[in-house]
Amino acid sequence: MILESNTVAQRGAQGLARRDFLKVGAGFTLVLSVAGTLGVLSGCGETAKSAAKSFVFLQDGDLQLFGALTPAVIIDFTTLDGTERAARVSAVLRNLDNTFSTMDLAARQELRKLLDLLAIAPLRYLLTGVGAWNEASIETLQAFLTRWRASRFETLNAGVNVLVKLISASYYVIPASWPAAGYPGPLARMYQAVNS
Amino acid sequence: MAISDIYAEGIASGWKVIDASSLKAAQTIEADVAIIGSGAGGGVAAEILSLAGLRVVLIEEGALRTSNSFKDMDEARAYRELYQEAATRATSDGAISVLQGRTVGGTTTVNWTSSFRTPAPTLQHWAAQHQVVGHGVDDMKPWFEKMEERLSIAPWAVAPNANNSVLKRGCDKLGWESHVIPRNVKGCWDSGYCGFGCPVNAKQSMLVSTIPVALQHGATLVHRLRVRQLQHADGKVTGAVGEALGSDGRTPSGVVVTIKARHFVAAGGAINTPALLLRSQLPDPHQRLGKRTLIHPVVVTLATMPERIDPFYGTPQSIASDHFQWKDGATGPMGYKLEVPPIFAGLGSAVLNVFGEPLRKEIAALPHTNSLLALLRDGFVAQSEGGSVRLAADGSPILDYDLSDYVWDGARRAYLSMVEAQFAAGAKQVRPGHLDAPYYASWSEARQAIQELPMKKFRASLFTAHLMGGCAMSENAAHGVVNSRGTHHQIANLSVIDGSVFPTSIGANPQLSVYALSAQNASALAKELRH
Repeated sequence: MILESNTVAQRGAQGLARRDFLKVGAGFTLVLSVAGTLGVLSGCGETAKSAAKSFVFLQDGDLQLFGALTPAVIIDFTTLDGTERAARVSAVLRNLDNTFSTMDLAARQELRKLLDLLAIAPLRYLLTGVGAWNEASIETLQAFLTRWRASRFETLNAGVNVLVKLISASYYVIPASWPAAGYPGPLARMYQAVNS
Repeated sequence: MAISDIYAEGIASGWKVIDASSLKAAQTIEADVAIIGSGAGGGVAAEILSLAGLRVVLIEEGALRTSNSFKDMDEARAYRELYQEAATRATSDGAISVLQGRTVGGTTTVNWTSSFRTPAPTLQHWAAQHQVVGHGVDDMKPWFEKMEERLSIAPWAVAPNANNSVLKRGCDKLGWESHVIPRNVKGCWDSGYCGFGCPVNAKQSMLVSTIPVALQHGATLVHRLRVRQLQHADGKVTGAVGEALGSDGRTPSGVVVTIKARHFVAAGGAINTPALLLRSQLPDPHQRLGKRTLIHPVVVTLATMPERIDPFYGTPQSIASDHFQWKDGATGPMGYKLEVPPIFAGLGSAVLNVFGEPLRKEIAALPHTNSLLALLRDGFVAQSEGGSVRLAADGSPILDYDLSDYVWDGARRAYLSMVEAQFAAGAKQVRPGHLDAPYYASWSEARQAIQELPMKKFRASLFTAHLMGGCAMSENAAHGVVNSRGTHHQIANLSVIDGSVFPTSIGANPQLSVYALSAQNASALAKELRH
């Protein structure tokens, strides 16, 4: 299956071939067709980049990505003050990193392909409409998620599902998030009994 | 009230429990029988073989976690410490989420306690279609009785929680069959925290039942040890090679542990057992290994109820309906069992799979949210052959699973049944777990819209918590990996005693099926080995 980028391509990627630049295999296997004509791909393939300082799996670029997407998925963030907001984003990133580092090889590799793809600025813009992660508005980021959900390409559906689910699960396991979920916390009569 | 920790006391009294992450040098462990995997199959086998006087070593890749570490009743800790891949395991394409345990006791440590006998049509189908002998309805009856008694399995005598009451009320209104679920609990607190490890040792998982008895009778438990390979020659396993894992429970420490035994039992479940046998390059002349992996594909619907549901509190599963399970026989259009999942904020938010304002609103409505699930009964017809297990470059397992039109038809009918039941129970709005499904305000609106939903991977949310098959039993060596007693067709001193021997899915939560079949086959093995 060849992904044609249609409207997204028209929107901003002047000079890029609209066909054949990204091959999408069955399911969630993304194979970058290294169209050498596209200078945009230089730098891609450095999958041996190391993790960000004090993280196991997430790289600096991934931290920007998840740091930007987290408040787009969890809009409660917009009501928090700067300090609290930073603390919760940091907790989400920490949870994501813990989770990713427990995944088996195949899942980690698929995830890395997705994150690497989104780290390449021109491709990202083409596929998501997002420029720099840290400059994108919530609306732009949500439009990206909406577009991927609506896409007829399974790979993009798979990509948005994994991003949304991992971010929301990594947030709503944090006790500070529970009031927003109406979860009062561990059942009091049992919690008190077993911890007394 | 202090809950005594069975293992803290047992280890103090001399139980042989080895944390492989603490080993500094290579070593060899010798036993009569080595059991690889400590879940429903391995736990039962360990008890029976130890009581028969055999020296047993029970090996587990996950860590030993006990009631002391379950006291926080915390979702994040549970996924991180007790589940495969921190509860993010999925099929190779990411389309189906796989919930599976990875700790001493395996999935029994984290399951929701539903304990059904293998349905008669399933056992009859195995005999008729898969050349299985000795596991008919009458053959199995004493083994079900034995394990029900052993694990205190009985229909739940307390009223269902609000979440399960929705299913009961819906079925009653529509005249559908429903029943109370039998559970393996003793002194249950009706709290709802089964999935995070029972903090009061009420759930009769392998962790608190069979494994302690095996340890009392001289068995050795080695945890955080991943068996890489079974060495074999001339039709016999000669040893097992394990790699000790470091304190993170994932990264090999470099210490190698060799296991020598007369007999080996593979009990890692339907993903890890086929993977172990594949890594070991055991003979597989008919290419049956890792094939026909059955998973009870699950679809869900979400309802907003007028009453308070608090779907996180109370016994997670107490009501089920088989109204749609066998109505067209074992081999008609796909049957399904209806049940209720508990919903906690973390995993629950992922099931919602929405973002922004919809996520804020839906998660805020969690206390009024009910979910139903359908377990689709796969593996009974040619259009439902299940999936398969293969290996990644590092030897870890990969599960491929595709859905045919036959399965998707079952999934669509399951959506319709669940939504109808939720509206009948008084739901204000209901939606299927599907990217294209908004909340519907009435059953008539929903019925029409669901007929039009595109049934495709990634659009429909899919789950499994039941892994079966991959080392199917059959008397016909061309059709199965093991015979009906679980003995490998080509390797005489290797048995498979876990859910991977099932030739089809069960059609109900499989733990009691694993317990009873494992008890029967392990008892036969004990007799054989004592001679």
